[in-house]
Amino acid sequence: MNKHVIPQAEEPLKQNNHQDNHLENIRDFEIQDYLRLDLFPHFMCPGCGHGIALRALLWAIHIQGIDKNKLAIVSGIGCSGRVGTYIDANTYHTTHGRPLAFATGLKMARPDLHVVVITGDGDCLAIGGNHLIHAARRNLDITCIMLNNEIYGMTGGQVSPTTPHDRFTTTTPAGNIEPVFDASRLAEAAGAGFVGREVTIHVPRLRDLISEGLDYKGFSFIEVMSDCTEINGRKNDLGSSSEMVLGQTRNMRPNEYDNNVVDHPFRPNSLNTGVFVKSDRPEYGASYRDMVDGIQKKQKGH
Amino acid sequence: MAKAKKNKSSRKVDLANRMPLKLNPGRLDPETSDEAINVLIVGVGGQGVIMVSKVLAQICQNLGLQVKQSEVHGMAKRGGVVFSHVRFGKTVWSPTIPMGKADVLIALEWAEGLRWMNYLRPATGIFITDTKRIVPPFACRSRILGADIGYSKNTPDDVIGKVAEAFAIDATDMAAKAGNELAANTLLLGALSTTLTFSNEVWREVIAQMVPPKTIEVNLKVFDQGQKWIEGSRKGEPVEGSAFVPLVQPEEYPMRTTLSITEEWCKGCDICIKMCPERCLTLNKDQVVELADPEKCTGCHICEWLCPDFAISLNPALNPPSNPKVQEAVA
Ligand SMILES: Cc1ncc(C[n+]2csc(CCOP(=O)(O)OP(=O)(O)O)c2C)c(N)n1
Ligand code: SF4
Ligand code: SF4
Ligand code: SF4
Ligand SMILES: [Mg+2]
Repeated sequence: MNKHVIPQAEEPLKQNNHQDNHLENIRDFEIQDYLRLDLFPHFMCPGCGHGIALRALLWAIHIQGIDKNKLAIVSGIGCSGRVGTYIDANTYHTTHGRPLAFATGLKMARPDLHVVVITGDGDCLAIGGNHLIHAARRNLDITCIMLNNEIYGMTGGQVSPTTPHDRFTTTTPAGNIEPVFDASRLAEAAGAGFVGREVTIHVPRLRDLISEGLDYKGFSFIEVMSDCTEINGRKNDLGSSSEMVLGQTRNMRPNEYDNNVVDHPFRPNSLNTGVFVKSDRPEYGASYRDMVDGIQKKQKGH
Repeated sequence: MAKAKKNKSSRKVDLANRMPLKLNPGRLDPETSDEAINVLIVGVGGQGVIMVSKVLAQICQNLGLQVKQSEVHGMAKRGGVVFSHVRFGKTVWSPTIPMGKADVLIALEWAEGLRWMNYLRPATGIFITDTKRIVPPFACRSRILGADIGYSKNTPDDVIGKVAEAFAIDATDMAAKAGNELAANTLLLGALSTTLTFSNEVWREVIAQMVPPKTIEVNLKVFDQGQKWIEGSRKGEPVEGSAFVPLVQPEEYPMRTTLSITEEWCKGCDICIKMCPERCLTLNKDQVVELADPEKCTGCHICEWLCPDFAISLNPALNPPSNPKVQEAVA
């Protein structure tokens, strides 16, 4: 029992150096510095929003001045999960739905790392929904980027918990009749300390939201509205890639939600964006280490 | 000029008795014509065009003259045109000044003044303008750095000969030096006063009534300055505040960023092409993006940021403009 060593954060995480050279960091960002160039071009379909989201994430990481060696990207399965593969940092490609569980273990073991989870709507809300609510409840210092393209993209377009009403998918050939999850409100209700949503077309805004989430000490849940152009777009006639990305600013596909009476309490405005929650709930890792410190001190005293 | 001044003070009583107005010798004389005197005041929103016309109208009323004033205002927030017609004399019928019939044109903004110059009487009209330039946002529709500005390139020298008499005063600067930039309109009132027969006391009294109490002193000071400026320049004395610095106009459109395309990474999704505000990208026959019109690219980064495949990068390495004036402005 006494031999059990609990790793301690080596030093308080140096996150705030960005405040001095914030603007410079915005300007001098070179995405190539953060990519595994040998894997390019990436596998994603033409126009896929996940690529835009990846830029925003890497830019935010750059602005925060996070050392790549202290950065751990944990991702699940799906096109969203594959995004992590392209980041030149410590990447951890885990099982479907479980990146938050792996990330929780990693962050507990290595509190010195910046742990960022990249997940999809299927990965995070369907098979991994349970992990999401408990990660949010604990408020462990993890940044969770959920790329919401409202479909299972990788497996050819099955319905997901965020697929809007009447959408055609391979599992809803006559149109979707299931009500949707509002992922941000779900995370908020489960206790996430930081919750925000943004669309990919507003790259600088998305970058700043992610940057704020990275800076937050606690569980940050960031819902990125992304476009699955090839599967979702084609099946539902949502237009070309450029039309889809432009459509994000048109009040986020309001018609789909209008027809869905059950959805109304969940999504009164088809889409609102920005920071929804930023609370000062205790961070789980810190509480845990305090507890362990207390126990160890007591034991030494005996 | 000194003579003219004497005339003015001696005529104060006449005016009070509704005697016909008399302008400076050699200028328009309403005694020989029954037409009203026409003063047109123009500017952009927020400069005090209406205040100038109110002072003038109030003086006329105090002196028992007929006066009619009509204005277009309310565009101040959008920086829109504001003008005010003031007509006064023994009898005034219409409230608006016909084109080519203004005796004096007071412009609180340089380009606005030029715009309304055709309202002046060709042979006798007097043009008094602030050289202050307020360039509206729509004067430059191009987003290219250093792009040509669609704003008057005329200098005061260009105006000479087109009107009977013209005075270009850096009134805003002079008023700022006197303590309140906003008093520039009063400085121009001082200039206007030299073309009319009202006594200084009348002007000063009404100005003191119209301006905010805290600014009376500075307003009266710049009123004097405006008067002296015109008198001095009529006498050919060197006058302060007439400096007119031409706008820096680049001779070419300097491109400051270079756009590089990683063709192997482009998937031809069309996002950058459709989202580029300048429409300068295109897909080539291999469905790969191409910068078709480099001249138009403003380096706005939109294509770079929205490309899901990181196939475009904007190189901020400077391609400095060759025009040294532009170099200076950019720096
Ligand atoms: C345990 C398990 N079940 C099912 C799958 C098949 N599968 C792979 S990706 C995926 C859905 C991913 O959807 P989402 O998280 O929305 O990611 P997207 O591809 O849309 O970005 C599924 C069901 C799997 N890989 N593992
Ligand atoms: S299937 Fe959809 S989500 Fe996956 S890469 Fe293609 S467009 Fe993107
Ligand atoms: S930077 Fe890109 S989007 Fe902007 S003008 Fe140039 S080509 Fe167009
Ligand atoms: S956005 Fe990127 S991938 Fe799409 S056409 Fe333009 S350069 Fe090619
Ligand atoms: Mg998905």
